[in-house]
Amino acid sequence: MTDFRVKGRGRVNTDKPIKFTFDDQTFQGFEGDTVASALLANGVHLMGRSFKYHRPRGVVTASSEEPNALIGTTRGKGRFEPNTRATIQEIYPGLKTESQNKWPSLKFDLGAINDRLYMLFSAGFYYKTFMWPRSFWDSVYEPIIRKAAGLGKAPTEVDPDIYASRYMHCDVLVVGSGPSGIAAALTAGRAGSKVVLVDENSEMGGTILSEPSVSIDGQSAWDWLEGAMAELDRMPNVRRMTRTTAMGYYHQNMIGLVQKLTDHMGDVPDGAPRERMWRVRAKEVVLAQGAIERPMVFDGNDTPGVMMAGAAQTFLNRFGVLVGKKPVVLTSHDSAWYSAFDMADAGASVVAIVDTRNELPKALQNAAKARGIKTYLGYTATGTKGRLRVSALRVNPVRNGKVGAGHMLFCDAVLVCGGWTPSLHLFSHTKGSLDWDADAKVYLPGHKTEDVHIAGAGRGLWGIAAALDDGTKAGMDAVKSLGGKAGSATYEVAEDRTGTGITQKELPTDRNPGKAKAFVDFQNDVTAKDIRLAVREGMKSIEHVKRYTTNGMATDQGKLSNMNGLTIASDALGKEAPKVGLTTFRPPYTPTTFGAFAGYHKGTHFEVTRCTPIDSWAEENGAEFEPVALWRRAWYFPKAGEDMHKAVARECKATRESLGIFDASTLGKIEVSGPDATEFMNRMYTNPWTKLGVGRARYGLLLGEDGFIRDDGVIGRMRHDLFHVTTTTGGAARVLNMMEDYIQTEWPDLKVWLTSTTEEWATIALNGPNARKVLEPFVEGADISAEAFPHMSVRECTVAGFPSRLFRISFTGELGFEINVPARHGRALWEKLWEVGKKYDICPYGTETMHVLRAEKGFIIVGQDTDGTVTPLDAGIGWAIGKMKSDFVGKRSLDRPDIVAPNRKQLVGLLTEDPKTVLVEGAQIVDNPNQPKPMKMIGHVTSSYWSESLGRSIAMAVVEGGFDRMDDTLHIPAENGAIVKAKVTGTVFYDPAGDRLKVE
Amino acid sequence: MNAPVTSFDAVSVSVLPPVARFNLRIAPADLATVSKAFGLTLPTKIGQGEQNGDRAAYCIGPDEWLLHAAEADQQAIVAAFNAVREKTPHSLVVISDRELTISVTGPAALDLLSVACPLDLSRMANGSAKRTVFDYAQVVLIRDGEDAFRIEVWRSFFPHVHGLLEIAARELAIGL
Amino acid sequence: MLLIHCPYCDDTLPELEFSYAGEAHIARPADPSKLSDEEWRDFLFIRTNVKGVHAERWRHINGCGRFFNALRDTVSDRFLTTYKAGEARPDTTTLEAAE
Repeated sequence: MTDFRVKGRGRVNTDKPIKFTFDDQTFQGFEGDTVASALLANGVHLMGRSFKYHRPRGVVTASSEEPNALIGTTRGKGRFEPNTRATIQEIYPGLKTESQNKWPSLKFDLGAINDRLYMLFSAGFYYKTFMWPRSFWDSVYEPIIRKAAGLGKAPTEVDPDIYASRYMHCDVLVVGSGPSGIAAALTAGRAGSKVVLVDENSEMGGTILSEPSVSIDGQSAWDWLEGAMAELDRMPNVRRMTRTTAMGYYHQNMIGLVQKLTDHMGDVPDGAPRERMWRVRAKEVVLAQGAIERPMVFDGNDTPGVMMAGAAQTFLNRFGVLVGKKPVVLTSHDSAWYSAFDMADAGASVVAIVDTRNELPKALQNAAKARGIKTYLGYTATGTKGRLRVSALRVNPVRNGKVGAGHMLFCDAVLVCGGWTPSLHLFSHTKGSLDWDADAKVYLPGHKTEDVHIAGAGRGLWGIAAALDDGTKAGMDAVKSLGGKAGSATYEVAEDRTGTGITQKELPTDRNPGKAKAFVDFQNDVTAKDIRLAVREGMKSIEHVKRYTTNGMATDQGKLSNMNGLTIASDALGKEAPKVGLTTFRPPYTPTTFGAFAGYHKGTHFEVTRCTPIDSWAEENGAEFEPVALWRRAWYFPKAGEDMHKAVARECKATRESLGIFDASTLGKIEVSGPDATEFMNRMYTNPWTKLGVGRARYGLLLGEDGFIRDDGVIGRMRHDLFHVTTTTGGAARVLNMMEDYIQTEWPDLKVWLTSTTEEWATIALNGPNARKVLEPFVEGADISAEAFPHMSVRECTVAGFPSRLFRISFTGELGFEINVPARHGRALWEKLWEVGKKYDICPYGTETMHVLRAEKGFIIVGQDTDGTVTPLDAGIGWAIGKMKSDFVGKRSLDRPDIVAPNRKQLVGLLTEDPKTVLVEGAQIVDNPNQPKPMKMIGHVTSSYWSESLGRSIAMAVVEGGFDRMDDTLHIPAENGAIVKAKVTGTVFYDPAGDRLKVE
Repeated sequence: MNAPVTSFDAVSVSVLPPVARFNLRIAPADLATVSKAFGLTLPTKIGQGEQNGDRAAYCIGPDEWLLHAAEADQQAIVAAFNAVREKTPHSLVVISDRELTISVTGPAALDLLSVACPLDLSRMANGSAKRTVFDYAQVVLIRDGEDAFRIEVWRSFFPHVHGLLEIAARELAIGL
Repeated sequence: MLLIHCPYCDDTLPELEFSYAGEAHIARPADPSKLSDEEWRDFLFIRTNVKGVHAERWRHINGCGRFFNALRDTVSDRFLTTYKAGEARPDTTTLEAAE
């Protein structure tokens, strides 16, 4: 294997060789190498296959905008990542990498047949081809496209890595650590501002790393850089962060940073996070992100070995790697000439510099001549030779617009530069306007919407001296905006490389341009021809061209392709570029892992899991749980061998026959207190509260102003000026918010205050004919006999010595109590009741049994039997409306025309013809099952259970005009094509007279 | 609850024993009466705290205060407020069991809190308190000193908040 | 994530502490029973949905708990000002001039 490493060049640590693999072959690089630089050092250019045509592709850049060299990396079990940019991934011992989009191998790929068929795959191919016939979509087209589509292969295992996140606040955030970023950070740092300087690379310096021949303040560029870094590190108010990408710029100077912490490490510290997302709030932002080199568009411009001239310069100077020994430079910008000079000075035989321009500065031409480099001015490139690696470039003179005869320049690399595009992606995220500079043919930052300063090449400035000066100015401006004053600084720069260039569309050719494979977007395989075709077919805006051709829609988000695409589209349309538009850049700046966004929110911390004080007992006693809002609630308590059906049947039976115990702690609780508490309750709830005595409780129903049921719960009157309000589990926060809203904004004159006590109390429900027998001995300070403590009462007392608010209420239809004790005592009380209850075969039950028992009694669950379109009248609980009340929230709406209209959906009971059939909740109901499809649906099943007590199924449903359909038979089409018949009934299935509450 | 103390050189996370805790809501004009009942002049500006021995009061809303006292004093404080309620209407609700308190101390306390607290804590004065969010949970954050904070969090949100702090404390100890 | 100024706390704080609460200055009628169906419909459902400066309610729900009003430009997502519940809507022209 040939070694392309140049002695004495680059910043890699040649004392530390590192072995890694690419497609199972072992390669050696050095500490400081990326996968791309290490492979190039070994003479490997071919690093992947393209997405659509599976064309062989080599690395084209040395940075994060790389569209071609996307690899899969494996960092151990479960740690496979596709589409990693080989130009960013640093090597470490044992790193395993692989190429993508190839089968069976990178060098011989069967998918490349698409390339031979490329005439079929032109722009808009998908839109045109797969439209017809429609029935083919599901069965033929989609499966094939799905198989062929996808960039790289998706990981198959759960990501075992840890991701972290932090918030950060600073005065000045500087994005990009090239000369302008460093100058800005130095300026603001010296002025005492809290500065954060970030760069996506492993090392700071930007351009300086690629241009060691420049001298700054009498030092070599790299010595100056070292000094600048040391100075920044000495300042306690400055923080430097490498491997950190500013991926999005959001409102009011919030910037998302993704810091890669361990991807470059062979030995990752145990428990270390892989990446950390920083959410930074910066008072001022300096964007110093430089510029991105543009490719040139000509036939065969994607052949491996054709790459950016600036990238070649970076590979040489930063990594000590010659990308070729016989390169040709093809350019329309002065900068590539310097790349050619650096290559020549490092020992490469530069075959030629081909420039599309006719006129060039003499100094450049002389410098080329001095190095013996041939130059071709006013030339175009019209083709390449070589499939897996470029072997020649075909060039032709262009005279008076005519392309002359071509000849071959034999070479092993073609280094291109089609000019530079200021990197304004983050600025674009802020909706800052971009102004077209007609001379330079670039977009430059215009109107700003945030406190942001752009410096250096981002403003179209060229050269290190200009960048340092502009960065200094940006730093001073930022400090000034902060209300401070920063000292100026001047930098003496020698051997600076300044220059100009022109922008052009696809290069002219003497061949049939319709057959040219002149790529604009490498990753999505979009050619110049595709863009012209899109325009011919009527796409007039660049946004349409983009979507029709997919230009700029790859993972590099058009960093290389957008400007060339725009130039070609504007030429085809005969309009100036700004009239054609510019597609919008959106976050993230570079591909970002889902892990970085998720941060700590995985596994146990995916979401808050709220547990009650009694949850641990349920877990120890084998409960199955279900999520209810954020809570996890005991669902049922299966005994050995029981499924849910059997467990619930047993729990229901035990509760009805003797005694059940239930954890009701999740119910929302609100303390409504103050001299106007009664007036407030009268206004909020449908029910009347004035005459409710202290010590009594009442079912309360809460509507929205639209008249629909919002919440319900039992409310106890503790004092004349104090109510203990309960809400549904899921409605607790909502109801409190709604009440506060009315108190604060509608009725601020009322003296009433609210406090949530949901979590102050643990709530245990005891239900069943033996409930009182178990509870009574524990109670002190209250008589809970049937006469002294009737149904719907509340007392303050102690239970088992714990201060308590004790309710006599029932959500099961049995004799029932709800005991509220301070949360810390919840489990202790539960265990005491449990011990004593054993002589009555006390049975713990979960939410499922609670649902069955209440459904047997026809008690609704808000949110299950109601859905935000159900009024109290629809739900059959008009009795809860205080008829004498002049107003309450939602009252006016109960007279709205739509609410009093006939045939509203009303809540009824359903009994299936076959008592063993349990309907599916959510099933749709039809009147006549023989009608043609689609059938008219007249309602749906809201609750459905097996009732062990009744020995049959029961259900509730909302049905159009349901109250007038009593005893009618309705039909419920089932999944398997069967039709279930069910009779409409009332909703109280069990003990309609309420006799079971009357236990002495 | 006796969760173990998670302690590293730079930061320590521990769970504090219970206190008597109250939510007081009252018209600001009536503060003087209840200040007397509580034995501490209640602060009037949102965020401010006042402390005297084991009694502390933090203003967390225009008409809302968080009160702390020794556990043994809970009944006496309830009685003292009850005595003035008819003349000076207010709402005093015992919330001693609603929240649990986590202490975060050490030189890296600010870093630790920054994992899930969106506030610029360098602006938070010692002795002040603020209702805010910590990740997905509403909390009251109290700053006792440069490197000393308390987080009061509703009981059911405690495992989430405390777990996150422990994860982050270990992360800080790794030093990346 | 926006920064929002709470007029009660007199502090500018992260959006995470706040929740949106719909259009501002829509008072509940003192006696809804006096309203025609159309008037009541307008109160319930009809909103301005402006493109531009919108008067809207926010609640400092994870802070001082107060509902307050804000003028926000729905195009730029910028807050022009915030003010306490019950206060009149500030004059937009002077605020925009100050921007």
